Amino acid sequence: MSTTTYGAHIEEPVAATTVAHVSQAQALPDVLPPVKVRGRVRTFIHRYPTMAIGGALLLIVILMGVLAPLLTSYDPTALAPARRTRAPNAQYWFGTDMLGRDIYSRVLYGARVSLVVGFSVAALASIVGMTIGLVSGFVRWADSIIMRVMDGLMSIPPILLAIALMALTRGSVGNVITAITIAEIPRVSRLVRGVVLSLREQPYVEAAVASGTPVPLIIWRHILPNTLAPLTVQATYICASAMIAEAILSFIGAGTPPIIPSWGNIMAEGRALWQVKPYIVFFPAIFLSITVLSVNLLGDGLRDALDPRMAKKL
Amino acid sequence: MFAYVVRRVLSTIPVMAIVALFVFSLLYLAPGDPAAIIAGDQATPEDVERIRAGLGLDRPFLIRFGEWLWNVLNGNLGVSIFTNLPVTRMIAQRVEPTVSLMLLTLVLSISIAVPMGVLAAWNHGTWIDRLIMVFAVFGFSVPVFVVGYILAYVFALELEWFPVQGYTPFATGFGPWLNNLVLPAVALGGVYIALIARITRATMLEVLSQDYVRTAKAKGVGSRTILFLHALKNAAVPIVTVIGIGVALLIGGSVVTESVFAIPGLGRLVVDAILRRDYPVIQGVVLLFSFTYVLVNLGVDLLYTLFDPRIRY
Amino acid sequence: MKRRDLLATGTAAALGTLAMPSLSRAQNARVLRFVPQANLSTLDAVAGTQYVVRNASLLVWDTLYGIDSNVVPRPQMAEGHEVSPDFKVWTFKLRPGLKFHDGEPVLSKDVIASLNRWMVRDTMGQRIKATLDEMVAVDDRTVRISLNKPFPKMLFALGKNNAPVALIIPERIAKTDPFQLITEYVGSGPMSFAKDEWVPGSKAVFNRFAGYAPRAEPADWLSGGKRMNFDRIEWLILPDDATKAAALQKGEVDWWENPIPDLVPLLKRNRDVVLDIADPLGNIGALRMNHLHPPFNDVRARRAVMMALNQEDYMRAVVGDDETLWKPLPSYFTPGTEVYSEAGGEVLKGARRIEEAKKLLAESGYKGEKVVLCVATDVQITKAQGDVTADLLQKIGMNVDYQALDWGTVGARRSKKDPPSAGGWNIFHTWHAGADCLNPAPYTAFDAGGDKAWFGWPKNDSIQAGIAKWYDAPDLAAEKAAIADLNKQAMEFVTYGPTGFFLQYQGWRKNISGIVKAPFPVFWGVTKT
Repeated sequence: MSTTTYGAHIEEPVAATTVAHVSQAQALPDVLPPVKVRGRVRTFIHRYPTMAIGGALLLIVILMGVLAPLLTSYDPTALAPARRTRAPNAQYWFGTDMLGRDIYSRVLYGARVSLVVGFSVAALASIVGMTIGLVSGFVRWADSIIMRVMDGLMSIPPILLAIALMALTRGSVGNVITAITIAEIPRVSRLVRGVVLSLREQPYVEAAVASGTPVPLIIWRHILPNTLAPLTVQATYICASAMIAEAILSFIGAGTPPIIPSWGNIMAEGRALWQVKPYIVFFPAIFLSITVLSVNLLGDGLRDALDPRMAKKL
Repeated sequence: MFAYVVRRVLSTIPVMAIVALFVFSLLYLAPGDPAAIIAGDQATPEDVERIRAGLGLDRPFLIRFGEWLWNVLNGNLGVSIFTNLPVTRMIAQRVEPTVSLMLLTLVLSISIAVPMGVLAAWNHGTWIDRLIMVFAVFGFSVPVFVVGYILAYVFALELEWFPVQGYTPFATGFGPWLNNLVLPAVALGGVYIALIARITRATMLEVLSQDYVRTAKAKGVGSRTILFLHALKNAAVPIVTVIGIGVALLIGGSVVTESVFAIPGLGRLVVDAILRRDYPVIQGVVLLFSFTYVLVNLGVDLLYTLFDPRIRY
Repeated sequence: MKRRDLLATGTAAALGTLAMPSLSRAQNARVLRFVPQANLSTLDAVAGTQYVVRNASLLVWDTLYGIDSNVVPRPQMAEGHEVSPDFKVWTFKLRPGLKFHDGEPVLSKDVIASLNRWMVRDTMGQRIKATLDEMVAVDDRTVRISLNKPFPKMLFALGKNNAPVALIIPERIAKTDPFQLITEYVGSGPMSFAKDEWVPGSKAVFNRFAGYAPRAEPADWLSGGKRMNFDRIEWLILPDDATKAAALQKGEVDWWENPIPDLVPLLKRNRDVVLDIADPLGNIGALRMNHLHPPFNDVRARRAVMMALNQEDYMRAVVGDDETLWKPLPSYFTPGTEVYSEAGGEVLKGARRIEEAKKLLAESGYKGEKVVLCVATDVQITKAQGDVTADLLQKIGMNVDYQALDWGTVGARRSKKDPPSAGGWNIFHTWHAGADCLNPAPYTAFDAGGDKAWFGWPKNDSIQAGIAKWYDAPDLAAEKAAIADLNKQAMEFVTYGPTGFFLQYQGWRKNISGIVKAPFPVFWGVTKT
């Protein structure tokens, strides 16, 4: 299996700050000096169109999930069989499902599940994967053991690994997050290890080691800054694939329990009626696709902005 | 080179051992007592204890692992809790559809994706490039079951070109076999096409910008086509790598695709087993898929040396 | 060369060039492709009582008697019988020429072993067993059963269609523990089970048994000549209802046992598909509670559920908006018969009493413990009921542990008497064919015999006495009174929660004819052109 080694001269991590700029700029257009900000935003959009589109779409989805209680007037889990399978109308924008639940509410609340799963998996996999990668890169004797274990885990297809782990436990959001995270960790740790190994060869790191600088300090000063950029890009892709993985797990009945409205669950429940009531599957599918798309675009944009030469991985 | 091949082949052994250990732990940690399940509803606790001892379930982890491994190496994956049939038999019944689906998807995807990626690289920065890249991002973002349902609706129910479900064994004839598999293969291929197209484009761009290609261009070596093939040959290593790594995507996707199109393959077997918590079956399928994946990537690594004689380890 | 031989060799790919010609029309007409209601995971209608298992078993095995469409038992494997005037001594003579699928003749010893195994599991069988003096083979084809108490409903017990069915299986197999599943399927019926072609979760195949000797009379449900017009019946287990509907629309399957109501309008629009009510006796939905463990070991907790249970919600979720297909059922019995009663059914009528239910639940000592709700998510009827129940339980303040399983697993899980925390259960859902709920005799789920009762193990001696009273009822008026009393008692005791009465459709391709209305799919007499 190939290990991608990244160049040592990775630019300043700009990911977080630039994204924050967009959101601030859009949310508070009149508070900040308007002309200058608008100009900046325009420049940003012009320079990084994919990142701008992806970020904007993702922001909308996040807002919808966060503000779901304000944006909906029906309890997403309240049954009302008397008003079942209504087509989309003025009252029920996305129609109702087989048990009379409002699909619009369910889709909005479902965004929470997907986002929580996506972000948690990205964060957890990054943190744990980075730790493992650092240990592996610095502790020589542990390296080969850790990497063999990672190779082993990596050779189990991620969805299958997640399915196997879910079979051991009960369906819950927490367990879904754990299962997908475990499946994603090997890739992150390999990436971090690669960066560490290449940096260790750099004269200034070698010098630091030779002069007896403590390892944590080396990590803090030299390794972390250079790891953050590829890691951020990797994390966005992990986030996107985690969202799809959650939907797949729920769709096949091994994910979040059916009483929680997640996009995968809504689609799983509506799939029997996709010929006659396609909107039950259609709306969550669109939202899932758009959300994943936005995260992917964000990832592509970040990658291009951070390092055009960075290998194009998943 | 021979030494490299040997080393590479040997290196899969620890990997497979880790996989085996993980898969065994799965059954070891699984809730529910296999002895109680075998004993049935009316068994007394003494019966269960006797069966447990008879099965050797009261022995230490490592001994049981060793024994299990020995059985696996001898082609014995245990017995399904649910159907009481040997897992190897259940898997054997379902290998053909899954292998067919994956092979067809592989062929279909590569023959679509590589030209797409090349086209994009050749027309770098133009609308063709952008269109292809937009398509590629969509391929990543639309879940396979959504694609599956849309395809089934349009091409099976409305246009009636293909059947909506099922599988016809290859032995029945190539035509019917293909007919049943086209839609699932296209649905499953989406992500894979996106992945391969992106990688092809990226590596082609890199190769095309390299000095020797520029030199060749400047010297006016042959036509564009020759140049192009030259570049593609050099781009082959990363492309083949990603095809190997992407097999994981195919395996994951087949789990869903087989459910959508009612293909009686391994993916559906594992999905059915999940709801029943039929651990021996889950174990067997995970093991098989993982070993396949390892072997595919071993094959890919060995292919490198063919594509790129510069690689020496 | 047979197709399966080709497959079995595992060299299908290598032989790919030897493409088999596709089946000709004439051959195709001899193969029926049927979509059953659920996956067939076992084939033992004595140890397992799932309808899908029963339906397959009825193809493979025959019975001594068989009910006709008026629910009257007619001789089937039996040539006839003699009975003493006091209904205590029954003598049955087997028809000549009966054969098992392994070619062995059907003998008295097989009948005795089969009935012995069945008696342990069946509620009517248990009544016979309790009063049995002896069951002996008079000769190879004659069996005599001597009882110490009259049992006038003997023929019905031997010929009823609800599981456990008194199937006749070879003696050596019948010796299997009645609580263990048999694994060898040597049948006595019109079709043999192709075990080597069985792919659980995907396909089950039945081949015509050439040695079967049908009766001369025309077939009627389980009685008469079971003449098969097919050499091969394939049961195709398709993963979801959308796929089943699509396959029927396109003619990839011939007959779908239970199209879900939401897809009926779609199928009706297809000119090549015929839809009809499967069985006018309909079905009764059931919310089954476990009487062995808290909270539902307390009658007050069960009553609380009944008070809050809204049958209209259940029926709309299960069947949909077509109100001709369902109605509320304040009774445990199939509506429309002369003995039908709604006595005591008030608890299910009128506005739902959520607050009162909460209070009663608190009185029962419920303190927020987890309630394990096992939902078979792959069967639409059980999934819909499960979702409504989850909502209902939450409304009355229960802590629901919703476990999504498949129907086969629920079937196995429900037989566990362990506490819910140790792999047992509190609630599962199912439905009972109306044909099984006409009166207490075939109504396994109504029995309240504790350990020996159906899953949930309700124990109520007064109900058992009431059932005995019905068995002994001399006339219709007494039967009616007995049923009314039983219904009232069961409503108070809450044997289980009836969720309503509903009809189901079945659907088939236009080139299939001879499909009849029945509480189970009747394959004999069906033809395909």
